[in-house]
Amino acid sequence: MRRVEQIMGLPISVDLRDGDDALAERAFAWLREADERFSPFKPDSEVSRLDRGELTREELTPDLVEVLSLCDWYEESTGGAFTAQVPGRGLDPCAVVKGWAVQRAADLLREGGASAFCLNAGGDVVTAGEPEPGKPWRVGVRHPDLADQLCVVLGVRDGAVATSALYERGQHILDGRTGQPVTGILSVTIFADDLAIADTTATAAFALGKEGIEWAAAQEDCEIFIVDEDRRVFRSPGLPVHIC
Amino acid sequence: MKRAIPVLALSVAGLVPVWLYSPGPAHEGEINEAAAAPETQQQAQAQTTTPAPKTSGSAPTAQQKPPQQAQTRTVAGPAVNTSEGTVQVQVTLQGNRITDVKALRAPNSEPTRMALPILKQEALKAQSADIDTVSGATATSQGYRQSLQAALDGAQ
Repeated sequence: MRRVEQIMGLPISVDLRDGDDALAERAFAWLREADERFSPFKPDSEVSRLDRGELTREELTPDLVEVLSLCDWYEESTGGAFTAQVPGRGLDPCAVVKGWAVQRAADLLREGGASAFCLNAGGDVVTAGEPEPGKPWRVGVRHPDLADQLCVVLGVRDGAVATSALYERGQHILDGRTGQPVTGILSVTIFADDLAIADTTATAAFALGKEGIEWAAAQEDCEIFIVDEDRRVFRSPGLPVHIC
Repeated sequence: MKRAIPVLALSVAGLVPVWLYSPGPAHEGEINEAAAAPETQQQAQAQTTTPAPKTSGSAPTAQQKPPQQAQTRTVAGPAVNTSEGTVQVQVTLQGNRITDVKALRAPNSEPTRMALPILKQEALKAQSADIDTVSGATATSQGYRQSLQAALDGAQ
């Protein structure tokens, strides 16, 4: 069963190979809820209310506390290159919310009895089980320069793959230390157990520029595939490259 | 601590576009060249075995001549110093198409010995691989409509 829906400004698709089809609706309902609650673009969201000072940190839901603590951890770890609060702008935890919310959608599918599925949210992927017996999910990584080509194919069973890159949205990632667009890296792909970690690590590594290569490779339980602006490829040995 | 291994570190202008900038889908643009070139030119004609320069710090000029149509060429990239040691790669091309990638020099560390052969598989086969999904494809609905992921989802 396949379904695509536009949530959080992203096309989110689910490919469910077992379990009840109603599970997909439950996952999408959660994603719509997460968008309502954590979008900085919706005036009534918890994030907007916190930003306007209508809520204190003590009054927040445990979910937002979790998101903000992830933001804080990565901000500290990157010396401020990654931040949910770029100077002069409002609070924007989107970089964490997306991966975190999609991971929880995947957890809902699993808790509901699905054991083989692939969830793709605007190019960030969570997979479970196998699409067919004995085969991993084959996750192609988009080429940084050519939209219709791939630069590597990963073979993933239970795991998450996130890519941060310059294409399409232009220079959308800012270095929190300078407020300037990041240069030095074209594309960062992170493989991890959990999409909240994979997605945030990818964004944070990107924000660090070239320093982000070694930083990301050193992150516990993260495997990297990074293309720098000289088109050099950096890859950690544990990356699950799919040999076809 | 894990280390990032630069699996391909080619900075020669003529090479990089070939590997990562393989021009469009392999059929477009190259068909004309292949059709125009006589079959007999496919043989290994220009074996430019560039001896590895001793001074790996300076960028050697590995590009011998401008690319010619559908000829087999072997081109060595510059030796590049990495945290794991010196890496140098040699690429064989037929026209603009890579037919072989091999390591001329690779550090003896285990991960790199493994990484270089795998790169060859990727460089040659990633384009034609069957896939289930795409990472890094679509940040916007506009991009999604034009993406590989949309094709996989059956949503044109």
